[in-house]
Amino acid sequence: MVRFKHRYLLCELVSDDPRCRLTLEDRVLVGLIRDTIARVHGTFGAAACSIGFAVRYLNAYTGIVLLRCRKEFYRLVWSALPFITYLESKGHRYPCFFNTLHVGGTIRTCQKFLIQYNRRQLLILLQNCTDEGEREAIQKSVAKSCLLEESSEEEGASDSGGEEAAEAMAS
Amino acid sequence: MEFEESWSQRIMRIDPSDYHYMKVCLEFEEHGIGLNAAQFKQLLVSALQELFGEVGAALPFDVLTYEEKTLKAILRVCNSGFVKLWSSLTMLGSYKGNKCAFRVIQVSPFLLALSGNSRELVLD
Repeated sequence: MVRFKHRYLLCELVSDDPRCRLTLEDRVLVGLIRDTIARVHGTFGAAACSIGFAVRYLNAYTGIVLLRCRKEFYRLVWSALPFITYLESKGHRYPCFFNTLHVGGTIRTCQKFLIQYNRRQLLILLQNCTDEGEREAIQKSVAKSCLLEESSEEEGASDSGGEEAAEAMAS
Repeated sequence: MEFEESWSQRIMRIDPSDYHYMKVCLEFEEHGIGLNAAQFKQLLVSALQELFGEVGAALPFDVLTYEEKTLKAILRVCNSGFVKLWSSLTMLGSYKGNKCAFRVIQVSPFLLALSGNSRELVLD
């Protein structure tokens, strides 16, 4: 009834350089997004977006980031994300960009979307795969995630195990 | 006593205008500082940029008239950017180190309304 409503932005960090994702850190990302919003939307935008802003989930291997912001100002944050062109840490600058995959009202909906997305990505990886050993590994993780999907449909519980397996194999 | 029947008819059309017109005046703390029209517009754009960023600085507005002696101007802005422009005029504090302030004299969705201002009438 009376509570602060948030929007969760599920983003993927896309970069040519493989070292870029490994340097992804909480504080680096928070500072970067805040600076970008201040540049694009001025003092008003920086103040409005930084109240409920937080990085809720960060995966350095797959480059998946979950940002939280207030519902009234989520469009300001969303529109500032394409203006991020590089990630800077320890003096190195890596060109990259943020791809917004999903906007959800709760962490649970974002997690459901991420599980489906990772399953689809596994299948795409399987198609583009060249190495035999990689192919076998991906096929194994696809089979595992399908089994987990069936068992979760029976039980009706969310499968975080499938997500973890999928993410570990998608690196 | 005869009286003539007269009836009057008033036609009022609610014509939504897409723009808002503002008559503003720039006041400096010190005297003797002048700006030409381009510098004036640049000042407004930088005020928008400070408060609303790059997106705010891209807000399309026009300086319809500008008097260099009195530093008065008439601005036109579309309805969606009206609040942004007025708030950034309010927050502007200085130009090149000189303290200044914007006085908003009159605001109207119709340009014709700016030609007469009852507040500027002087009683003899």
